[in-house]
Amino acid sequence: MPTNPLNRICYVEDDEDIQRIVRMSLERIGKMTVQVVGDPAQAIETIKAFKPDLVMLDWMMPGMDGPTLFRKMRETPEVKHLPVVFITAKASSSEMDELRAMGAAGAISKPFSPKDLPDQLRSIWSSLP
Amino acid sequence: MDHSKDAAVLDLVSTGESAAAAPPVRELADRRKVFGDQVDLLFRHSPTGVLISIVVGGIATYELWGDDTRDLISLWCVLMVLVGAARHLLYRAYYKRSDDNYSNWLRWFAIGAFGMGAVWGFAGAVFFPAHTDAQQVFLSFLLAGMVAGGIPVYSAVWWVYALYGIAIIAPFTYILATFGSPQFVELAVLVPMFLAVNISIAHRLSRVFADGFRLRHAYAHLGQDHSMLNTQLQDQIEELLQAQREIEASGRKLALFSERAPIAVFEVDRNATVLEMNPSAENTFGYSSTELIGRSMIRMLIPSDEPVLNGEWWQSFVRNARPEAGLKVRCRRRDAVELVCEFSLTPLVNDVGELISVITQCQDITQQLEAERLKKEFTSTLSHELRTPLTSIIGSLQLINTGMLGELDTEVSELTSIAERNGQRLLDLINDLLDIDKIESGKLQTYPEPLSLDELVRESLVLNRAFADRFGVRMVMLGTPPSMTVYADKKRLIQVMTNLMSNASKFSPEGGTVEVQLELVDRMARVSVMDRGSGIPPEFRSRIFGRFAQADSAATRQKGGTGLGLAICKRLVELMGGRIAFADREGGGTTFFFELPLTDRAAVATR
Repeated sequence: MPTNPLNRICYVEDDEDIQRIVRMSLERIGKMTVQVVGDPAQAIETIKAFKPDLVMLDWMMPGMDGPTLFRKMRETPEVKHLPVVFITAKASSSEMDELRAMGAAGAISKPFSPKDLPDQLRSIWSSLP
Repeated sequence: MDHSKDAAVLDLVSTGESAAAAPPVRELADRRKVFGDQVDLLFRHSPTGVLISIVVGGIATYELWGDDTRDLISLWCVLMVLVGAARHLLYRAYYKRSDDNYSNWLRWFAIGAFGMGAVWGFAGAVFFPAHTDAQQVFLSFLLAGMVAGGIPVYSAVWWVYALYGIAIIAPFTYILATFGSPQFVELAVLVPMFLAVNISIAHRLSRVFADGFRLRHAYAHLGQDHSMLNTQLQDQIEELLQAQREIEASGRKLALFSERAPIAVFEVDRNATVLEMNPSAENTFGYSSTELIGRSMIRMLIPSDEPVLNGEWWQSFVRNARPEAGLKVRCRRRDAVELVCEFSLTPLVNDVGELISVITQCQDITQQLEAERLKKEFTSTLSHELRTPLTSIIGSLQLINTGMLGELDTEVSELTSIAERNGQRLLDLINDLLDIDKIESGKLQTYPEPLSLDELVRESLVLNRAFADRFGVRMVMLGTPPSMTVYADKKRLIQVMTNLMSNASKFSPEGGTVEVQLELVDRMARVSVMDRGSGIPPEFRSRIFGRFAQADSAATRQKGGTGLGLAICKRLVELMGGRIAFADREGGGTTFFFELPLTDRAAVATR
């Protein structure tokens, strides 16, 4: 379990509405600091600059999907250690297993409950090694 | 076919082929019939014999008549006529006979012949001494003539002739021997010799007759056999023709099957060279049969980089000669378009295990695969495209309803709650539809593991308490659940529990209690969820586990639900090897229960 409490979150998501909801949920209810990235191509640069505790990735995005971005992160030394949580509308067990096999810290299925989202992230955070 | 008949035919054929080794034909004759023929011949000549005897007897009477011998001659004449009449009566009786007891008839005939002989013998013995020389010569010739003339009449059975001859000659010989004159004594020696020669001739004649009869019967028998053989051969030929007609008919049927079949069919040899193909094969691959017959099916139709149905694969297939089915193989059409075909290969093997040819059936499944892919993509897109806006809608409403943006006006709050609830309902519907789709297309994967069912039931109780609260319903565990392990998918089992508990909550009266029970029934773990609702209407019972099954649409609008819940529960429970059912409760209400097989620890370990 990480020693510091979960605070800085970077969220890569192309849908602006969902960006806002997640930001409101995490900032207002979770009292966290959130950086949102709309264009997955710029995600790695933003993450490097923002230095989050945890990264949330959408699965389906135009240009580059979540898993591809995840692999790219794993190839980038500055960000490869960061825990990654997927938010996905794909929710079948086999896909979840696939994500875990890739080294994802967790997966939250869409639609998520904004009320519960901060708690869900903290529970994943606390279960990290 | 009758095998004994086969064998019989073979026997007859071999008789015909190797006559040298077979017994003489006359042995085939029936002895009884030959004997009958001999007796018959005797009787046929009987009238002639009698007639001749009477005529000659008449002449003798005329010649020998004299005053001193008148009485004797008269007596002799009477004897002759009596014997002749008796023999004639016997003859008439023979031709009117009703039995074929030939030895009996022969006995009577022999007595008759002996009698006739004896009458002549009487003549020789009585008249010879009493007459003149000339008359004696006449009598001697007469007797010799009667003995010789008897040969054709009696020799059908030689001993009948012998009896007849002896009856004539014996008294005559005795008279000759005792007459006194040395010439007569010499004659007495010669006469029996003459008789013996005649008997031996008769004996030979009787054998000739018998052989003749035997041959006649044997040939009749052969003729019968021959006609029987012919009938059998004809039957066999008819059977063969029938079999041929049947084979031709089934051949035509098979040809029609393959000709009209929508599936491409090839017959190929052990080198995969095409021997025959049907019109469907021409249509599927765009080659005419003349272009493919005589060429390798594999080289012509299948890209060399395919993992199955390449040269090496074919070699091992031919070696094993085992049928293969459901091989999905990429194929090249004549116009270079790529197809995916499903192949089934059936090797035809003869009775010594040699591969004769391979019947290859293949179906173009390119479009089917494409349709499956599109459907999968559609479902996945639908799921994503519906969930994304719903995420925003429900998320926004939920954030508003938490009150974190400030207290809401009561009416506004009411409306946003309605919006959130119905958004959730829409989401449930989408999830249920996707579930049903996956289950029915066999794509739903369950991840079974050994589960503590009592823990799972407690957990579902906690998870659904909030939902029950909304309907003012209490949810309680009945008794202490025994500890039980089942082999099931945890997430899917919780889905089933949630469905049953939320149904029970929805249909309970406000302030009511939903009871949950876990027990062991007939070595199955049974989980029951019991309500005190209004029960299941009779007309709804049969389709309660069907899709979109709801008893009362008004209640649905009021309480929510997609009508898919129980259909999903039933399929999920069945996927986990259990069953689901319901029963009325004593005192009103309904019990829904499902049963799962208990885990055998050993079975789990080997899984």
